[in-house]
Amino acid sequence: MIRINRRKLITTSAVLAIAALTVAAVPAQAFNPSMADPGITGSTIKLGITSPLTGIAAPGYSKIPGAMKAYFDYVNTKGGVNGRKITLVSKDDQYIPTTAVAKANELILRDRVFALVGTLGTASTKALTASTQLSKRGVPSLFVNTGWSGFADKKAYPTTFSILPSYQMEAKIMAKFIKKEYTGKKLALIYQDDDFGRDALAGFKTAGLTFDTYIPYASGSQALPATGAGWISKLKTAGAEVTVLFGVSSASTAALANAYGAGFKTQWVLGSVGGDATTIAATSKNYVPLLNGAKGFSFAPAPTDTTDDYIKKFQEIYTAAYGTTQTFDNNVVAGMSNAFLVVQALKAAGKNLTRKGLISAIETKGSTFASPFLTPLGYSAKAHTGATGYWIGTYGPTGALTPDGGKYTVYTTDSGTGPVVESTYKRPAMPENGL
Amino acid sequence: MKISLKSRIVSVLAVTALAGTVVVGAPTAANAAPQCATASYVTQCAGVGADGAPYSFIAAANFNGTVFLYSHGVRPPIDIPATLAPVGPYTKTNAAEPGPLATSDLSVINKLVAAGYGVAGSGFSRQGINATEALAANKELIATFKTKFPTTKTVIAWGVSLGAMHSQKLAETNPDLVDGVILACPGANPQDALMTYFGDALWGFKALFDPSIMVGGYSTDPDTRRDQQLDNVKKILTVLGKLSAGLSSGAWPDTASPGGKLLQSKGVPSRSALLAVGLMAGVSTRSKHVDGTSGPTGNAETYPLAIAPAVAVLENMGATLNYGTLLIADGELLAGGKVFDNTKTDYAARVAADADLFSFALSGNTAVTGIMDVLAAAPRETADPAAVAKIPGLVGLTGKITKPTIIFQAESEEFVPASIVQWYIDGYAEQYAAAKMAALKAAQKSGSYALPASNLVVLWAKTAAKYSKFTAAGTPDLTATPGAGTGHCLFTAAQWLAAADLMTTSLQQGKLPRGAKLTLAARKVGLTYDSKFRVPVFKSLQ
Repeated sequence: MIRINRRKLITTSAVLAIAALTVAAVPAQAFNPSMADPGITGSTIKLGITSPLTGIAAPGYSKIPGAMKAYFDYVNTKGGVNGRKITLVSKDDQYIPTTAVAKANELILRDRVFALVGTLGTASTKALTASTQLSKRGVPSLFVNTGWSGFADKKAYPTTFSILPSYQMEAKIMAKFIKKEYTGKKLALIYQDDDFGRDALAGFKTAGLTFDTYIPYASGSQALPATGAGWISKLKTAGAEVTVLFGVSSASTAALANAYGAGFKTQWVLGSVGGDATTIAATSKNYVPLLNGAKGFSFAPAPTDTTDDYIKKFQEIYTAAYGTTQTFDNNVVAGMSNAFLVVQALKAAGKNLTRKGLISAIETKGSTFASPFLTPLGYSAKAHTGATGYWIGTYGPTGALTPDGGKYTVYTTDSGTGPVVESTYKRPAMPENGL
Repeated sequence: MKISLKSRIVSVLAVTALAGTVVVGAPTAANAAPQCATASYVTQCAGVGADGAPYSFIAAANFNGTVFLYSHGVRPPIDIPATLAPVGPYTKTNAAEPGPLATSDLSVINKLVAAGYGVAGSGFSRQGINATEALAANKELIATFKTKFPTTKTVIAWGVSLGAMHSQKLAETNPDLVDGVILACPGANPQDALMTYFGDALWGFKALFDPSIMVGGYSTDPDTRRDQQLDNVKKILTVLGKLSAGLSSGAWPDTASPGGKLLQSKGVPSRSALLAVGLMAGVSTRSKHVDGTSGPTGNAETYPLAIAPAVAVLENMGATLNYGTLLIADGELLAGGKVFDNTKTDYAARVAADADLFSFALSGNTAVTGIMDVLAAAPRETADPAAVAKIPGLVGLTGKITKPTIIFQAESEEFVPASIVQWYIDGYAEQYAAAKMAALKAAQKSGSYALPASNLVVLWAKTAAKYSKFTAAGTPDLTATPGAGTGHCLFTAAQWLAAADLMTTSLQQGKLPRGAKLTLAARKVGLTYDSKFRVPVFKSLQ
């Protein structure tokens, strides 16, 4: 039994009251390891990621943790963040939600990471967030690699932060483009039949775009040989002149390869998630030229754009880490951008790093963070929205996406009914030393 | 006090010999004094309670004043023939069980007795839903034991499954008789959620796969009611067999409802419909032989996403539907009318959150919508309000914890969802918060604050990440050892003894252990102490 008397109670209350009044004036105190959140010492920060390193979604996505690690290692060579060096524990969840839950539990309970970073996939991230009770435990989940708009909802996901523009934003921007460029054409939509696709459908609906043909597919079923063939058969029957594919890259591969095999031609419009040439090449390099002429969407600079300061620095760091044996592609840019934002957040949280402090730093300062993205960041005390727009481009025969009109024309919008407008956002310059 | 094999006044070997072989002649007359036999310092007694319930108890010459009063789990209230394997063969029995695992492994009883504890347990005069009979039998048995062993000071009520409900009920209604409580995979709560869980699973199964399956409405004639139950079990086993055969192809049973046939015509695989039924009821998507993450050679990537969740539900569904049949029928008998009602249930809302997690296995949102549309159009079950009103009295608890209580539970339970334990946890969190508030208020008056003792510890048998084995044909190997944290109450002797040890130590020290000590003690026997771990609450309570 803990017994305290009334006098002590009163004294304690008074002390607490004074502490509350004076907290802003108290100078920063030395780091106290015994009071620290898990995963943090005076000289280290341990972060964790669970993502598909094997399994159906591994091609392409498996490069993300390695790209993150390359950037963190680079930061460590510069002294780390506020004197702390970053380690990244990476787990393979095979893109299976139940496995993602198990891996997240390992990261939190066994590895005792300070925060999760860059978890990948809507279903996996939803599952692990709910099952491991991230918000109840107060574990930050930074910059999840999914564009499901729900993760920006601070009330439902108080410790989770998006990084990608939402699929609703993407669909709205895509709809504006299609209405302008393909008026009167027969339109078809192939979409992943889950929250990913539901977000897209909501965005298209908001933008007032309807398709002549809708082809849903269950996430994962694109790995079955009959699935892609079935899509092309339906597209042929419908006479689709423009086909939007709102799915993952393995779905793009299935669609393009089967269209090619069947001699079916349509104007492909690929969502940002499904237009990754490296992922498509992982199935067969012969499929990459099939991207030629397809329209694509991105919010980061093209990986081939060496005139961009961020891309240039990221390439330098990545090459130093892995040589030239690995292609510097969208997935690498995604991983390094993710790690870059994590570092900005840790910097903003200051030397007395806590989980609560980190979340607060992103909410209060996140919209002003330096980032490679060409669109504004939407972090605020009310919403955990990441990037907020896209530029539109055309794929070439090597799979490179180059901006239409020779320059990045960025459109921005929200996940609601707000309009799609051309962005006037001025991206902050790359900080000194790439930090 | 540590319960171990270390030498005591009584040797373990002697106790083992006794418990395994000595047959005590039990009096046949109800309420007669127990017949006892003592050998090698161990006294075993057997008797029959006032209502005819057989009981037995054991204590040794080194009896230390603490007795463990055991309540056994559910036993079907009817005989089940061997033709209904694996549910049968079963012959109704009221045999007494003085401790956990008494029918398969005497080591728990033996070690406790060797360490100086008494063990006691009734067989209860009625099987099936028997809370009333169990409460009476347990109270009577405590008195009988104390008469035989007047030095008894401490009673620890422990039970498994439905028996855990009896232990909790005893503590709630007669706190003066109980000092500590141990609940293993507890099987009831006060809001009819377990009955609803069984009803939801049965109804979904009926609505899609065989409209002749009964959810409720059993005859009042005993013979007819028994035949209806057995017929239901037979139909359920038949449909499960057909669903199993169609797991890969997606083929539907020929008994499918018109709605099921419509889904079949639209290309929705039967496995997706089965999974949807499991999810809307809250059946676990991991089972004894299906970890949900492994796949057979050559199909390792797509199997966990496309097939495994439905296979796990199929494996769990057998026990869920069959026990559901027996318990709903028994509930109706006791309550005097239909007890399951789903006229207002929104099944689509129930699966909304799961649709993405199991998207491939459910065949996508469009298929889920189709399944839910069929279920929305299927006839619902209407209960008899007077009968429903009686259910809390038959299986109800307040969940209030006033005695030190240890619960241990598998994360992926086969047919009694871990949601029950979450209900205990959430309820106690409120209870404890209120106790702290009351203590603070009292402190304002008295000037002295005493932090209330926290009376609940939950130990989890967490489900391992990978344990599935596959046959050469690519199907789960059902002969393999079940994965940790699965099945129904598959607790080991070491786990039971660890719980007993924690409880006796706690009662001596006046508080339940916490922190590293508890974590280590749990880990030693394959359990986990994680105060922040949660499992979903019942679907019907979400």
